[in-house]
Amino acid sequence: METIQYAIRKLLYSIPLLFGVTLIAFTLMVYFGPDLTYSLLGKSATPEQIESVRKQLGYDQPFLERYLMFLKEVVTFDFGNSISTGEKVSSILARTVPVSFAVALPAFIISNVLGVGLALIAAYHRGKLWDKSVMVFAVVGMSMSYLMIVIAFQVIFSTSYGLNWFPVQGWVDPIPDYIDAGFFETIYYYWYYYWLYVTVPTLTSIFVSLGYNTRFFRAVIVEEMNRDYVRTAKAYGIGNGRIMVKHVLKNAMIPIITRIIISLPFVIIAGNLVLENFFGIPGVGLVTYDAITNGDLPVVKAVVTWTAIIYVFALILTDIAYKLIDPRVSFTK
Amino acid sequence: MAQEKPLLTVENLSVEFTTDSGVVKAVDDISFEVAAGEPVGIVGESGSGKSVTALTLLQLVPDPPGRITSGRIELDGIDILSKSQAEMRQIRGDLASMIFQEPMTALNPVFTIGNQMTEVIRVHRKVSKKQALQLAIQMLDTVNIPSPEKRVKQYPHELSGGQRQRVMIAMALSCDPKLLIADEPSTALDVTVQAQVLKEIHRLQEERNMSMILITHDLGVVAETCKRVIVMYKGKIVEVAETKELFRNPQHPYTRTLLDSVLTLRD
Ligand SMILES: Nc1ncnc2c1ncn2[C@@H]1O[C@H](COP(=O)(O)OP(=O)(O)OP(=O)(O)O)[C@@H](O)[C@H]1O
Ligand SMILES: [Mg+2]
Repeated sequence: METIQYAIRKLLYSIPLLFGVTLIAFTLMVYFGPDLTYSLLGKSATPEQIESVRKQLGYDQPFLERYLMFLKEVVTFDFGNSISTGEKVSSILARTVPVSFAVALPAFIISNVLGVGLALIAAYHRGKLWDKSVMVFAVVGMSMSYLMIVIAFQVIFSTSYGLNWFPVQGWVDPIPDYIDAGFFETIYYYWYYYWLYVTVPTLTSIFVSLGYNTRFFRAVIVEEMNRDYVRTAKAYGIGNGRIMVKHVLKNAMIPIITRIIISLPFVIIAGNLVLENFFGIPGVGLVTYDAITNGDLPVVKAVVTWTAIIYVFALILTDIAYKLIDPRVSFTK
Repeated sequence: MAQEKPLLTVENLSVEFTTDSGVVKAVDDISFEVAAGEPVGIVGESGSGKSVTALTLLQLVPDPPGRITSGRIELDGIDILSKSQAEMRQIRGDLASMIFQEPMTALNPVFTIGNQMTEVIRVHRKVSKKQALQLAIQMLDTVNIPSPEKRVKQYPHELSGGQRQRVMIAMALSCDPKLLIADEPSTALDVTVQAQVLKEIHRLQEERNMSMILITHDLGVVAETCKRVIVMYKGKIVEVAETKELFRNPQHPYTRTLLDSVLTLRD
């Protein structure tokens, strides 16, 4: 109950922040952003046409007016239509965002859980062989370029030079009409094709992020291991394993969760920008990539604004997580 | 008259630390004994090896960088240095307990007092969670913490420094150790609280007839609590004496400076 009140209070406090974020997004992208008049009209437009389109787009309105129009777009989830395809932006997002989550989520979860696990092992065996092996692996992972890993994994898993187990690119198609699939067949179909297409991107993404995660988590855990309460636990006969997974881990969870939650929007949006492009996955990353290269402002605007808003919510979530883990965080702050 | 065997015998103990600037002999060939039920003080300036000595008794010196290079420790008939870390775990907190200097940080901030106390009890005693909690509450009562049923549900930050140190004492005594090692248990506390905590430790030591090693900078503290004092200086034991005798007639020049500093402070 207290936690819910706290969450609500945090939400209320975040309203000015949301205004700030949208204001910045608006100022940078819309107010000073590209002028859409010419891309809409082409080269041979008459001054009258230009005038009327500018009016339509609201370019003749003062700053505040235009910002309010933008805010209206944000709160109604309606950013207009894509310039290149004419599809409604909201329906593009509704179609692509779930795909992006489906691609990013397994890697995100595995890479963080595995990262914490490896970090615990490395920290526990600090300075010994296990620690060194894990750290060498982490540094190697970190120093390889994304592109290199994508190509290497595609060659290894998806070509006849390697295992040839998975398709190089693509995404799950809906079940063809001519197949009359029952409930379990349908589930099996989607489950099978989902993993067929998501496995290699997931492995790639894990490989790219695991090194960073492990190194960060290990540093946090090692720092906790030097605290006095660890010495106390030792001096009272508590086992080392228990000290690690109970005492140290819970304290280390505060920086770990902060990092995980704060990285979430980056991973889902920015990570997928690269991943979806290389693996031909029709997620929001691919759409954004195309929108940026084509100057499709309504789409970019929607993605950037929503990323910013999700970010603010992620921050609220971290605050609540702090409170749940650390009793010293007070509700009244 | 057959002398009773001491509870703790330390013989020719040496501990070294390997640091960037070479090898440091933190404890250099020390020998001493503590009889059953006897409170002994260890005094000495900062860096003289008091804490390392205490930690070594329970094999708690971090290795590396620390290393026990020679010596023998016999505690209640057990050859401590022959024990593995896993075997030491059964001794720590049970046969011998330790209280540290930093009450503010010595407890885990994210677990309740009750959680931490029952964890220790259940490592050493086959009791249910409920029984362990009962015992924890009883121990908090023993060290004069008011409303202990409420305290076990609280987190360390909700208690004052003095109360936290009492919690540590309660934890240390919860499995009825034969030896209590208190490493500057009052140094980090307010002066008024210092006296109370020391009095508490002193009372419990006498009531339970425990052996105790009380480590401190402060000869004044030792004078009130311990019959016998060990004076350490640069890793060596330079003097062992009855407390009264030490005050009356210090043998080592370092002891004399130590005494002078106490006396000037008292003036
Ligand atoms: N973990 C460690 N690594 C390296 N050297 C250490 C370590 N612990 C202790 N020492 C060294 O051992 C020596 C004795 O330290 P110790 O902590 O026993 O002193 P002390 O008498 O307890 O001092 P204080 O009154 O300040 O607590 C010091 O020279 C110190 O530098
Ligand atoms: Mg010390």
